[in-house]
Amino acid sequence: MPSILTVDDSASIRQTIKIALSSEGYSVAEAVDGADGVKKADAGAYDLIVTDLNMPIMDGLTMIRELRKKPAHAGTPILFLTTESDADMKAQAKAAGATGWLTKPFDPDQLVKVVNKVLAR
Amino acid sequence: MSSADPVEIFRVEAQELLEQIEQGLLDLSHTPGDKELVAAVFRALHTLKGSGAMFGFDALAGFTHHCETAFDRVRKGEVVATPDLVAAVLNAMDHMRALAEGRPCDAHVGDALLVELERVVAAAGGAPTAMPAAVASAAPAPGDADQGAGLKTWRVVFTLAQDVLINGTRPLPMLDELRDLGECRIRAITDAIPPLEALTPTHCHLGWEVEVTTDQPRSAIEDVFMFVIDDMTLDITEIGREADPAVEAPPAAPAASVPPQPTTAATPEPEIASAANGDAKAGRADASVRVPAQRLDELMDRVGELVIAQSRLKQIAGASQDMNLRSVAEEIEHLASELRDSMMSVRMVPVAQLFSRFRRLIHDLSRDTGKEIDLITEGETTELDKTVIERLADPLIHLIRNSADHGLESPEERLAAGKPAAGRIILAARQAGAEVVITVKDDGRGVNRDRVRAKAEENGLLAPGAVISDAELLQMIFQPGFSTAAKVTNLSGRGVGMDVVKRTIEGLRGSLELSSPAGEGSQVALRIPLTLAIIDGLLVRVGPERYVIPLSAVEECLELTPEQDARSTGRSVLTIRDQLVPFMRLRSMFNTKAPPDAYQKIVVVSTGGERVGLVVDQILGDHQTVIKPLSVFHSEVGAFSGATILGDGGVALILDVGHLTSEAALSDPSPLRAAS
Amino acid sequence: MTQHTTLFDNGAVDVLTFDLDGEVFAIEATLVQEVVDKAPETSVPGAPAFVDAVINFRGRIIPLADLRLAFSLDAHDASLDSRIIVIAQEIEGETTLIGLRADKVYEVTTLNEAATEAPPRIGLRWRQDFVQCLAKRDDDIIVVPDLAAIFAARGQPRAGATVIPL
Repeated sequence: MPSILTVDDSASIRQTIKIALSSEGYSVAEAVDGADGVKKADAGAYDLIVTDLNMPIMDGLTMIRELRKKPAHAGTPILFLTTESDADMKAQAKAAGATGWLTKPFDPDQLVKVVNKVLAR
Repeated sequence: MSSADPVEIFRVEAQELLEQIEQGLLDLSHTPGDKELVAAVFRALHTLKGSGAMFGFDALAGFTHHCETAFDRVRKGEVVATPDLVAAVLNAMDHMRALAEGRPCDAHVGDALLVELERVVAAAGGAPTAMPAAVASAAPAPGDADQGAGLKTWRVVFTLAQDVLINGTRPLPMLDELRDLGECRIRAITDAIPPLEALTPTHCHLGWEVEVTTDQPRSAIEDVFMFVIDDMTLDITEIGREADPAVEAPPAAPAASVPPQPTTAATPEPEIASAANGDAKAGRADASVRVPAQRLDELMDRVGELVIAQSRLKQIAGASQDMNLRSVAEEIEHLASELRDSMMSVRMVPVAQLFSRFRRLIHDLSRDTGKEIDLITEGETTELDKTVIERLADPLIHLIRNSADHGLESPEERLAAGKPAAGRIILAARQAGAEVVITVKDDGRGVNRDRVRAKAEENGLLAPGAVISDAELLQMIFQPGFSTAAKVTNLSGRGVGMDVVKRTIEGLRGSLELSSPAGEGSQVALRIPLTLAIIDGLLVRVGPERYVIPLSAVEECLELTPEQDARSTGRSVLTIRDQLVPFMRLRSMFNTKAPPDAYQKIVVVSTGGERVGLVVDQILGDHQTVIKPLSVFHSEVGAFSGATILGDGGVALILDVGHLTSEAALSDPSPLRAAS
Repeated sequence: MTQHTTLFDNGAVDVLTFDLDGEVFAIEATLVQEVVDKAPETSVPGAPAFVDAVINFRGRIIPLADLRLAFSLDAHDASLDSRIIVIAQEIEGETTLIGLRADKVYEVTTLNEAATEAPPRIGLRWRQDFVQCLAKRDDDIIVVPDLAAIFAARGQPRAGATVIPL
């Protein structure tokens, strides 16, 4: 079954994402900031990464750039979480290499839909 | 399990975030130019807002949004972080806390705070931002209007940007999605594929033409491309409708975000999730694990039972000739001891966690009393059991309030007395043997002996004219019903008296001491034992009964020579290396009937500077002691602080060394009599 | 003297009867956790005589209470019949396990409210508030003690409160 990495410094968000996606049959791993995300992504083989942008230590944008530098992660879909009004951020994230996004606050069902869409399930 | 519920996790998170924000703001008021601090506060506000909205705390999210916006502007350099700005957000903290806890909130309070914030932001250099509406739902995409009945056929022609594959976008799922909408005919457009030498395999050179027949609206087709719509060419034409323009420009910036569905929200309940964290570093991404406090307690109980069982094993092994058994028993003892130490350290938490709460308190007290107050903290890394820390919070708050309210003088008075205008309150923690000593000291006017006396006499605690020592007079303050405040001020008179403080500390098997030398303000010292549950003890025998003396209090063990023994009973004094040490016969105190051993032993113990030698019949050895509480009938007996179960199932009472040493200091150790 | 109407449920209550110095006492069966044979006792110096020792009961250290003292009865040496009745009683807001000394334990039986009466105001040689009610069974009088009152008073019979029984 496809595995997903969720990267967010908020435990409650990670938990929400985990619950929503595991009930769809995905296996979900967690990372607590950008640096942890890079570490875990390197160590595992994930079919999709969902990340927040606003994190301490290493933020989401930097993490996306770091991941895209590595051939192992080229082509891995990366979704980021963004607030409605942040068109600027969306552009930046896309330029950094993100695949798609989810607006916060998001409905867990919406998350599942988007993930399914991106992973073609 | 409740700990897996995201809303519960959020509640805990919210408290931590608010704590971070508050600390950051307080630091910022000292160093307003610190960009890192601004960024950190902004980040925390941003997370609080975002997560709040996720879990249904809409009022919190809406309110925090404004604070976040203000700080975003500071972050971007549009606005300066003036002290007023910091103060405005600090003032909003209580409101945000109430919102996060789900307590009923006055909307007017919130509005007033926001108006003030706006004013301050304007003054700090930014034009007031139009308060953006709270998270707006996306405008319906164009084309929804023609959600007509029946099937339509659309021709969808699209090419993707060259680098979409590198960004994880996959065209095949898009085609699948189109197929989900209805019947499709798909043709790949290969015109753009370069010759092999020029081909970059990771680039997308393909386009597609799809004819899809669907009853879904046009927006459903656009949705398929929602993530890439800005970087692609997309033509969607309805086939079979005259007067359609041959080419339709891609809809200008459609609401590319997924319309947020109404968040399913659990109504925030008024109760607050208990802080389930043994780690003091709130929100920091250390390699730490959050554990519900209850699990730690259960674990503690298991360790306690293991220690008791290990005691029994030790006894059995000690009586056995089996060398294998003895060596394994010794190893298990070693392991149990290490496990015990690890358990203790898991529950230990630096007092910094407690002290940091008081910074805000001082800030408010300073404002409310009109006095300048500096809070100085020392020994913040000193650690205490987590449950103990929680129970210390209220007593410490009361003591600090007391100092601020009654101890410290107004700036004018202080200057007149030759003191600096700002009063100092020093909060210090240090470890002393098996105890932690926490002191609250102020450099104010000290305890007014006459007023204390007057109040004591007024409340019938003291007969007028009775002669008592200064120390005893100060002790009066801790009697129930005592209060020297001429009027009960808002700050310290909320029914939490010094007597409650004393009882709380004693409930932790600790003690407190008030001292107020002339001209040196006043100081309250709290002594709390490090651990509540398991201690290293020295097992001794007096007559037929066995007792445990906390090893941390034991200084040394000596033999009581027959000459020393021949001296009269009652208080006697020994000379140990040129120091006089009083000694007490426990058998006299305990009314032991059995005749004494020929060669008795003296265990020299000390607490708080007082030393006393306890005479026992036999010293039995070390014993890992799981402290079991005594029932209410026996907790009144001061000489014992608890009891423990020995390896053979018998019971040994644990001596309260502090009580015994003060007994020795005060009077002859007469046989313990029950209070009648 | 408060008549504890909560004692009887539909006019009856199950009690455990036991003997102290020849007097028969009864306590609600629901309070009783276990009846234990003699256990090693550890005396607590300085404790009231009423609760002068503790025992190890299933890994917990519980006080041993001697109701004989509350009723000014004589203590007897331990015999083969001696038992300790472990009860769970609410003391100052906390449910506390307490062991009660008994010279002999009889049985669990049912007391009918109809057969009981409040302790008389005069003529009783004990503290009136220590007795919930008295029950008649055959020729015997069974004393139902008011444990809450006894524990609250730490078992102190009022000095000089004896009235010569009629």
